[in-house]
Order: sequence, then C-alpha cells, then structure tokens
Amino acid sequence: MYYIEQLFNGITQGSIYALMAIGYSLIFGTLGLVTFVYGEVVVFGVFVGYYLYAVVGLNFGVALALGLVVTWGVGIIVDKVCYEKFRNAPRLIMLITTIGFAIFLKSSTQIVFGTQQRNMPDILGHVFLNIGNFRIPFIQILIILACISFIIGLQLLLYRTRIGTALRALSMDKDAAFLVGVDVDRVIKFGHSLGCVLGVFGGVLLGVFYNAINPIMGPNIGLKAFTATVLGGITSIPGAVIGGLILGVMENLTVAVFSAGYRDIIAFILLITVLVIRPSGLFGRKLES
Amino acid sequence: MMDQVFSLIQKLRAKSVYFLVLIGIFVLIFPQLTDNQYILHISIRILIYMLLASSLNMIVGYTGQYNIGQAGFYAIGAYTAAIIATRAGYSFLLILPLCGIMAASMSAFLGFPTLRLRGIFFAFTTLGFSEVVRLTILNWRTLTRGTFGIPGIPLPEIVNFQISTNNHFYYLGLFLLVVMLFISHRLINSRIGRAWVAIREDENAAKAMGVETFKYKMINLMYGTFWAGIAGGFFAYFAGYISADSFILDESFAILAMVLVGGKGTLVGPIVGAIILTILPELVREIARYRLVIFGIAILVMVHYRPQGIAGAKAEGRRIDVEKEYEAGISENAVETTAPGN
Amino acid sequence: MESILRTENLCKYFGGLKAVQDVSINVSKGIIQGIIGPNGAGKTTLFNVLTGTYNSTKGKVYFKDRNITNFKPEKVTKLGISRTFQNIKLFKNMSVLDNVKIGFHTQTKTKMLDAIFHTKTYKNDDRICEERGQELIERVGLSDLKEEFASNLAYGNQRKLEIARALAVNPDILLVDEPTAGMNHIETRNVVELLEKLNSEGLTVIIIEHDMSVIMNLCHSILVLNHGQKISEGSPEQVRRDENVIEAYLGREE
Repeated sequence: MYYIEQLFNGITQGSIYALMAIGYSLIFGTLGLVTFVYGEVVVFGVFVGYYLYAVVGLNFGVALALGLVVTWGVGIIVDKVCYEKFRNAPRLIMLITTIGFAIFLKSSTQIVFGTQQRNMPDILGHVFLNIGNFRIPFIQILIILACISFIIGLQLLLYRTRIGTALRALSMDKDAAFLVGVDVDRVIKFGHSLGCVLGVFGGVLLGVFYNAINPIMGPNIGLKAFTATVLGGITSIPGAVIGGLILGVMENLTVAVFSAGYRDIIAFILLITVLVIRPSGLFGRKLES
Repeated sequence: MMDQVFSLIQKLRAKSVYFLVLIGIFVLIFPQLTDNQYILHISIRILIYMLLASSLNMIVGYTGQYNIGQAGFYAIGAYTAAIIATRAGYSFLLILPLCGIMAASMSAFLGFPTLRLRGIFFAFTTLGFSEVVRLTILNWRTLTRGTFGIPGIPLPEIVNFQISTNNHFYYLGLFLLVVMLFISHRLINSRIGRAWVAIREDENAAKAMGVETFKYKMINLMYGTFWAGIAGGFFAYFAGYISADSFILDESFAILAMVLVGGKGTLVGPIVGAIILTILPELVREIARYRLVIFGIAILVMVHYRPQGIAGAKAEGRRIDVEKEYEAGISENAVETTAPGN
Repeated sequence: MESILRTENLCKYFGGLKAVQDVSINVSKGIIQGIIGPNGAGKTTLFNVLTGTYNSTKGKVYFKDRNITNFKPEKVTKLGISRTFQNIKLFKNMSVLDNVKIGFHTQTKTKMLDAIFHTKTYKNDDRICEERGQELIERVGLSDLKEEFASNLAYGNQRKLEIARALAVNPDILLVDEPTAGMNHIETRNVVELLEKLNSEGLTVIIIEHDMSVIMNLCHSILVLNHGQKISEGSPEQVRRDENVIEAYLGREE
C-alpha cells in the first residue's frame, strides 16, 4: 500500500522532473548549448513569482505569469552573456561562462531572497481523490495533467509552428539553417528562454508538491534535469520525459526503502550508472566510439 | 590601464628569479613579523586555498578537464584525518598521506566512467559528487557524527615535535605548498606534463601521437585530487573541528574562481587567485557577503576579456565548428568529430 | 613487393552516408602511395579509419599482416603508423620544440616517479627528446623558431611542424593529408624533397593531395576515390589516362 502510494508519488515527481528535463533537453540537446545555470534560473524564476504572490500580494496566476516573463528575460540575459559571443567557440567556453553565471545567480538569489526555505501556498492540498483503497492528493493529479499539457504543447510548437520548425532545423544543422534564412540568434534566444520557462513551470510544481521552495536548490535541480536528459538520451525530447519519470520513481522508491536523507544521491548514482553502461541514454543516437 | 597592469605582470614574470627570491624571503620570515594571531590565521587560510587552487589548477589548467566539485575531495581528506585521528592514535605523518590517497582513490571511481566521454559529463559528475559527499557526511552518522561534526582533532606531532601554534601551522602549511609546487613543476616539465597539455590542446591529435589520453587524464585527476585531500587533512588538524558546513558547493565554486581568475595553466596563477580572492573579502568587510556574486562576475569578465586569467597560460583550446555525432565525412573539410574526448 | 598496409572491403558509413565504400588497397613497403579524388570523396575519412580515429563499419585493415581494424589511435601509432591532419592539429599553446617532443611519447618511458626524482630514465628521455627534437626541427627547417608558440607560425611552417611531429613517432609508414595545401612553389618543393628523402631512407608514405604535379612526380602508385569508392588505381601514367578518373576529376596541372 505504502509502496503503491510512493510509486504514485514517484510518478508525480517524475512528471515534474520530466518537465524540467524537457526544458533542459531543449537547451542542451536541441540547441547544443552547454548549460550549468539552468537550475539557478529556475530557482530565481520561482522565487520571483513567489515573491510577487506572497509579499507583493498579487494574484497567484498573475504572479506566476510575471515570474515567467522575468524568467524569459533572464534567459535572454544568460544568452547574451554566456553564449552570444561564443557561438563558434569551443564548447568548453560555454561550460565556464555558465558556471560563472551560475555562481553569480545562485548567490544573488540568496542575497535578494534570503537563504531560508519558504512555504508554498497550500493549493488544494487537502483535497483527495479516493480510488479504491488509495487516497491520492488531487494536486498530484493536477500536476501530472499539467505536465502532460506542457509536453503536448511543446510538441505542437515544435511541429506546427514556424519557429518550432526553425528550432528543429537549427538542431540538425546550424549552418544550413542559417543559409536558408533562419535568424539563428533570435531562434536560439527563443529556444533557450523557452527551455528556462518550462523549467520554471516545473520548479513551481515542485514547490507545490513539496510545499516548500529553497533558494539553494539550483544545483540540485540542474543535476536532476541533466541526469534525466542523459538517461533518456540527450538528443531525444521524449527520452527526457521517460528519463524524468524514471528518476522520480526511483527517488521515491529509494526513500521508501531507505531514508529520506539519501534522496538526492539517487540522481547521482543513476547518472554514473548511465554513463558507465550506455552514455547515449535510452533513446539517444549511439555515440561514435 | 588594465593593459599596463598586465604588461607589468609580464615583465615581472620575466625577471622572475629575483622576484621569487624576494617573495621567498618575505614568505619565510612573515610569521616573525607579526604577533597578530588573526593575521596569522588568515595567512594559514590563504595557504590552504593556495594549495586547493593549485590542486584544481593541475586538473583544469593542464588537461583542461573541468572539475567543479573539488570541495568534495577536500572534504574526503578532512574527514579521513578527523575520523582516524580521533578514533585511533596514529601519527600525523601516517594519516596525512592517507588523506590524499583516499581523495585520489575516490576520484578514480569518478573518473573511470566519465573521462572517456565529453567534458560536460565529467563536469556535472563532479558537481554531483561534491554534493553527494556532503550528503553522505550528513547522513552517515555513525561514521561522521552527521550534522554535529567532529571535534577534538588532536594537534599533529612530527617526530616528537608538537605543532601547536599558528606559527607552527603556518610553516607546516607552507612546507606542504612548496612540496606540492615543486613536484608539480617537475611533472609539468616532463613527458607526463607534455602529455597533459597535449590533451588539453587537442585530444585527438594527442591520441594520434600515441598519448593514451584516458590513462593520462586519470593520472592527472588523481594527482590533482590527491593534493585536495592533503589540504583537507591539514585543514582538519588546523581547525581542530570540522563539519559538513565547510564543504558546501560554494567552496567548490570559490576554488574554481581562484583558478579561473588568478590564472590557469601556470603554477603562479592559482597562487595569485587564492591571495586576491581570500584577501579581498577580508579587507573590504562590507563586500564579504557578496563574495560569490563577485566571484561569478569575475569569472564572466575574465572569460570575455582575458580567458587565461590574470597570470595564466594563454590557452584558448582549439577551433571547433558545430559538433554532431554523425556529421563528419559529409565534407572533407569537416573537423573530425569523434564524440569521446572533447 | 612486401605489403605493409592493406585493407579489405573497408566501409565507413555515417548513418545513411556512405563515406567509404568497399575500399580495398594494398600498399607496398617502401613506396609513396598517392590518394586523390574530388572533395568529399572520402580520402580523409579513409585516413581516419586506417589510424583508428574512426571505427570501421565493415571490412578490415591490416598493418604488416596484422589485423589492426578498430584498434585505438594510440595503439596504431605505437605500432608504427603516424599521420598529419588536413586541418593542421598542432598543439597551439606549446612551443615548436614541445610539439615535436610529444611525438616521442611512444618511445620514452618516464613515469611519475621518474619525473619527480629526475631518475636516469627521466634524464635519458629528456636528452633523447632534446637531441632528436632539435634534429627533426632542423630537418624541416624550423630551427630558429623552436621556442615559438605553434599558433604564431606562418601557415607553411605549421605544416612543416606537423610533419616533424609525425616523424618524431619514428613510424614505418607516414600518412600525410594535403601537406602542401596553401604553400607556395618553394615551400611545396621543400616538402616534396623532404618526403622523397624520407622515402629513400625507407619510410613508406601515403599522401593525399590535390596538387597534381606533386602527385604525379612523387608517387609510385596512385589510388583514386570518388563518392567513397575506388574508381582507379595504378601508376601515375595509368591513372592519368584512365577515363573514369578524367571524367570524375579533371586534374589541373599546376
């Protein structure tokens, strides 16, 4: 019983990770941008939204929307500072610039918003769905539905809109895309900010799920998004979804069997395992050996 | 104006022998010049950071692998010393090398799967590792006393001489640093050091010249983390009490910043970085809060305007165009794109 | 003549792209073998598979009758095959001398302890690297530039350095990829003379080139590739008159 509930917890958390992984995969897998600052951008965006809601007193929806707008802006800034000048430089440079930005953003977030954990507003926390013997918090159903909607939304964007097509073209061949008239700079900025925004959605849902958000959870989120993406296969967006789900389920089952303190170690162990056994992940193209 | 400062630094480097002697003398007599325990304490902290930054520089600056979790190895060294020293009466001389060996062994586990792949995998893994070490310290209470930390680390004794004052620790720390720099200097100017730099410059070309790149990356990683472990051991004895708080991610970031800002790829770069980034927050108390914000900005500024850091080796790596797993072969002019070894 | 390097139906596919298709060659010891073909013909890819930089999709590579297919590049080099690169892959931030010294890696033995304690092994290796390094640098005519960073060299000199570095490996067979690209007549002639001299001393050379005069004058045997496949093979006279070659690749006499 307990394990089934933990399994469902895992699926819920997994869908949140899946959402973050998609955002990450869009940036790293599709656009080929090495990023270390993803988690920090997500945390910052979540806190801005939270601040607008809890301190400034804005309506939840409005606060969220504004938080996303700010996140979009931060995404653009990250691109300008970390990527723009180095589009044709070795990928290693992106590693350094985003690490630098991550260090900057993480400490800035702590300074601006303090270092304490905050409690997320209790939305529907007390509403449960009773299915047979199980009591499932309604909010978890909402979270899963929300994630599914985002995933579908992203697919629509990628396959039914012009900019989505431009994104896919860019991911296949940057130079060819440029030659056929794609505004590479604009599309990269768009894709990067979109990835960040998806991450923030995930971050908000994560906060709702745990009822808490923490300004130092940036690296944690970044690592999990990365792990989920690698597990699913870097170049595969559906893979990122699967990767996120697996990560979420495994985390919760481990916590059920062992203790909660080791929760975050699972992502790391999973990452090492994937890298040892099959670095190209479940659905990625096999790396040239 | 900055250009003038930099060219001054270049000129100074050229006259390095005289300079080194002067600095050497100053450094040696320094503790005799002051009784201020606070200043001595800071100096020892700076020495530790010099050791840490230098150890990281061996990895980042010579084979070009980005290790952003050096604090994890620092922690392993510290806890090795703390645990063994407080539970068994072994001597300092026996324990200290063990600290380095433990750290190096752990890095071997880490490096084995990740050094064959592209740099970003290694980087993320080290980040995760740093946190995993910290979490393990917090959770494995029977071994580490969890959040309470380990107090009562005895003072080191070297052949009947008790190291007890700040002065003693200063000279001990200085000695470790000098030994490290000496050994590193010898390694760098040898076949091994050249292999490392070749890997940094162009891993595929290095392979083509017969360098077993994976093996040398492993050796390099283990060497760099060995010294982080030593620094940790020294720190444990110096502080007398350690806890997981000293090994948070921010420490890893600070050490990395010292290497990137002070200069990577030279022996003097991390020394400069450690001095600047430790003294600055001390001198200007108001900005101590913003320490890491400034470090982050400093790294970004460096990458944009002076990628080698203040006193580093000019190392821009190689020109690579878009890199995809399958792309090579489409045009004769495409750069080789074998995925492992970026 | 003894075969030193041969391939059997070697294939390299990248997904749907057949970069090298069914290429079988047999290079005799002591000759200069040329490989020509239009851009995109698969010449460099072939080099990459021969040296282990790429794994072969199908087919085999034999060096001195030993199957070396899919051996790692480090191992291939140690066995006696050395190469230069079409896009010059020098170690930019190392001096000319240090670049060459890397080439001696497989012939030196210094380990960590040797380096730290300056043992006899270290001193011996150091001496070898210095002396032989200087020799090689003189041989290609770069003596005055030996302390210069590789990235500061003129293009022609960079190519020479790459050759010197490849020679440091002391190979039985040298693969050079467009060594005279971007060179003027004098530099081209220097490289040709160097290769001829090395060949006369027993080095087998495989050379990819676009400069027809170099190929025709230097090579004993020529292989022609197009679209990854072998379309002709033989002596310079035979190849020159082969209709397939003329059709696929109109060589221009420089």
